[in-house]
Amino acid sequence: MKALAALLLLLTAPAAARPLRVASLNLCSDELALRLAAPGQLVSVSRLGADHDETLLAERARGLATNNGRVTDIITLAPDLVLSSRGDPNAAAMARRLGIRSVEIAEPHSFADVRANIHSVAAALGRRAAGAALVAEMDAALAVPVRPRPAVMVSGAGLTIASDGLAAQWLAHAGLQQQPVSRGQLALESLLANPPQILVLTRYRSQQVSTNQRWLQHPALAALPASTRRISTDGRAWTCLGPALASEIARLRRVVGP
Amino acid sequence: MTVKRLSWLLAALLLPLVATSLLWDPALLLAVARRDPALARTILTELRLPRTALALLIGGGLGLGGAAMQGLLRNPLASPDVLGPSTGASLGAVLAGYFLGGGVLAVALGGMVGALAALALLVALAGPVAGTATLVLAGVAISALGGALVNLALSLAPSPYALYDVMFWLLGSLADRSLPQLAVAGPLIIAGAVLLLAQRHRLDTLALGEDVATSLGIAIPRLRWTIITATGIMVGAGVAVAGSIGFIGLVVPHLVRPLVGNRPGAALVPAGLAGAALLLAADMAVRLPVNGQELKLGVLTALLGAPFFLWLVVRSR
Repeated sequence: MKALAALLLLLTAPAAARPLRVASLNLCSDELALRLAAPGQLVSVSRLGADHDETLLAERARGLATNNGRVTDIITLAPDLVLSSRGDPNAAAMARRLGIRSVEIAEPHSFADVRANIHSVAAALGRRAAGAALVAEMDAALAVPVRPRPAVMVSGAGLTIASDGLAAQWLAHAGLQQQPVSRGQLALESLLANPPQILVLTRYRSQQVSTNQRWLQHPALAALPASTRRISTDGRAWTCLGPALASEIARLRRVVGP
Repeated sequence: MTVKRLSWLLAALLLPLVATSLLWDPALLLAVARRDPALARTILTELRLPRTALALLIGGGLGLGGAAMQGLLRNPLASPDVLGPSTGASLGAVLAGYFLGGGVLAVALGGMVGALAALALLVALAGPVAGTATLVLAGVAISALGGALVNLALSLAPSPYALYDVMFWLLGSLADRSLPQLAVAGPLIIAGAVLLLAQRHRLDTLALGEDVATSLGIAIPRLRWTIITATGIMVGAGVAVAGSIGFIGLVVPHLVRPLVGNRPGAALVPAGLAGAALLLAADMAVRLPVNGQELKLGVLTALLGAPFFLWLVVRSR
């Protein structure tokens, strides 16, 4: 009898460690969970994680319950693991108070941070092999040698990425070296006065009108000299700066050319 | 000083301001022109011309609208930004962005409808000759309601960036505006201004009191609605393009009215010109980098205007 109980314990222990009902509350944890979870393991993602305007992975979230990033939204789904962002410590604290296991991912500032986030979510899901495979896939995309060319990446309202941040590090792997822009926001006038060799324009919700979009559609932008090469990039890929960006970087690298 | 002389003086002041705004940073302009004349022309026509013209028109519209509201309500606190029309315009523009697709014309129409609704509500609540307390209470209530509804719309926004987008627009700015935006807002503001200016003699007569004005053949309800409509059009079109720019409409009429013998109708033209000059000057001030950052236009006008408002309160105690 004791032996049977021990055997049962042995059989059920790994299953208990591996969560069966996982809920993710944040777009960036959604993107990791959607890549790493086993079929059926994920029960809910955030509203943004299932929105085609927000993430390239929305198709994978089809059929999942969506939440508004709050623990109250998912409590009725009886999750046994909650994934959230460290930017919202209240969600994780609430999940723990309710006795639900909780894993928070941090905003990445380096590729090491991205790998750490992948490994931590994979470990929590009991999917270490999938995590290692995703890291390997990302590292393979980053290993392709490129010739760096000066460029300026800009999104609506002239907002740019920091030339020393993780976004710029990703961009460098497409062969594009982000040039520093003072104040992090580009005025159309200074863009016209000093046109960059390559201008990377972000497409994000470009069908919807906003003051940000209006900047990208300004007639003056069309008047840039032909010497400025314009490349467009999918803004959805850039929100989380996680592994989902690797395919967009590979595409940009092909567009930029050798 | 006669109204004519004051107007010419202000118009003369506008000339160097317009020239400075168009030829801002001449070293940069020259350098670009030497390298690529077409590019320099683009900077002038596609960027600086709409920015300068919009500053003139929106500033002028706010000055005119403020002067007309103060004349109509016979109250020194009446102005688009204090009593609700600006908030109404913001709400209208935000709603137009959601429901009408957010094109320049749709946002301008939404802004106008919002400003008109707020103004009509204000006059309905406060009555034709409102005491300061009633008027301010009604205006504060309308502003608060409009602000709350803007926040409600933002919290229901589907895109997480909508909040950021609208917040920055509400801070008020004329940076990187385009000729198409000028083409929509310009004619609307000019139409509103023409409509208002046609009422200037009636406004002067109204200052003698409603009974006198009526006995002199002025249809007061019609005058009231004309002024409300014209002000709503100007404020709404301006807010739709530049966001909320406060205090120009409050401050400018106070600056010019003593110079024209306190006649509200006579103050209209100078108030329009002074508003244009003030907003253009403020828009150039924000282009001077402070601590490496460009100030927002609405922030600057509020920083200058709020102390003036306080002074007005203290003086009227």
